[in-house]
Amino acid sequence: MNAPDRFELFLLGEGEKKVTEQTDTRTANSAVFTFNKEDHTLANMLRAHLLKDQHVTFAGYKVPHPLFATFELRIQTDSVISPKEALVNCCKSLVGDLETLSREFTKEYELRKMVAGDGTGIDQ
Amino acid sequence: MEYDPMIMDTEATGPSVKITEAGSHHVDFELQGVDLAFANSLRRVVLAEVPTMAIDLVEFSANTSVLADEFIAHRLGLIPLNSKNVDDVAYSRDCDLCNDRCENCSVTLSLHARCTGDDIMRVYARDLVVDGGRANQWVGSPVITDPEGLGTVICKLRKGQELNVKCIAKKGIAKEHAKWAPTSAVGFEYDPHNKLRHTELWFEEDASKEWPKSKYADWEEPPQEGEPFDYDAVPERFYFEVESVGNLEPDAIIQQGIKVLQQKLASVIQTVTEGEGGDINGMNGADDYNNGPRSPDTGMVGSGWQGDTGYTTPGYGGGNASTWGAGAATPYGATPYGQSHSNGWS
Ligand SMILES: [Zn+2]
Repeated sequence: MNAPDRFELFLLGEGEKKVTEQTDTRTANSAVFTFNKEDHTLANMLRAHLLKDQHVTFAGYKVPHPLFATFELRIQTDSVISPKEALVNCCKSLVGDLETLSREFTKEYELRKMVAGDGTGIDQ
Repeated sequence: MEYDPMIMDTEATGPSVKITEAGSHHVDFELQGVDLAFANSLRRVVLAEVPTMAIDLVEFSANTSVLADEFIAHRLGLIPLNSKNVDDVAYSRDCDLCNDRCENCSVTLSLHARCTGDDIMRVYARDLVVDGGRANQWVGSPVITDPEGLGTVICKLRKGQELNVKCIAKKGIAKEHAKWAPTSAVGFEYDPHNKLRHTELWFEEDASKEWPKSKYADWEEPPQEGEPFDYDAVPERFYFEVESVGNLEPDAIIQQGIKVLQQKLASVIQTVTEGEGGDINGMNGADDYNNGPRSPDTGMVGSGWQGDTGYTTPGYGGGNASTWGAGAATPYGATPYGQSHSNGWS
């Protein structure tokens, strides 16, 4: 009865932003990004990929409360790039990887189809 | 484009795919060159965030069957509907052409059955008839895969009983309701020999006897007797088994999943870099996207994400002012992040 609408899991509220940045003043070159209407799907992917950046010295995320569709991603960098730059680079790099994946998948799938003769019921 | 290439020890080559089996309703493949988080995100997005069509509203004009209205409405919702090229359909909640619903954002199906004979009559999914227009020729038709061409049983009617309903199918994602799921299952597996010790394999006497080996165990080197644990090892080969419910073709499910992930990332880039570079026009669309509730993919992409048209979503800088490669003859990844310095990207 008082259950929140399910679409609150993925639709941004009025005036709500996808990401907000909060500088972490306790340490140098660090910031906490709060993502709205996102979950582990995006969070863990970003976290894992950020750690591959040589300029990133720390990346970690938490979901403050399981009932709210939000997560906090903390990034700390060396002084060469800012956490924000690290985040943007990371996203761009992932988009590229996904593009490669898409292309690879299409290639493989088309190959399968050709071997099977036509597109329908390709395994027989 | 002035960012340092990331250090990628194992993935110099990027993701690669090997399809091991495929059919009209399933695809099994092996994914390599990515980390566990990436593979798992693909799994999650395919399960919960790939849009499909499903019946969302049902108006009853007659129901003298033994089943209650809401019971039948629920059953109707769960019937898989063809969702091919579902990008052509708008989300009802942000359809520009209507206030409630229209042919651009919904499909109307009607069902009228009355039992006149002495035998019990079955009402099937094939009895759902698409009324009026729809965004494309496929979207909203009930998925029928049985050899008799009947589809799912909706209810049974006795002599004199009648069912007359009008159903409104809409686009949605499984995060909102499982009826919008494109898959009935997504198998996800790695490290068949449990060399990484990511799982415990509880046993009574002997784990190797009590736990059947995965079919992928033959594909990977079994651990040597007395082999020391490798603390640096990470999972590298991921085995997916995607099973479609019939509304989308298995390859379309994966491709759509990839697209949804790209859209998520794109909206992050867009929000974080908002206001940088100073092109006012390019930002109009961004504001449109970020303020106010909109469905996951609107604003970012339109139909031409990987296509060759660029997008012309209304209010989203259709034309050269758009941030995301409008008018680009190349997919997003090939000419990354905008074409020139006029668009707010550097
Ligand atoms: Zn509409």
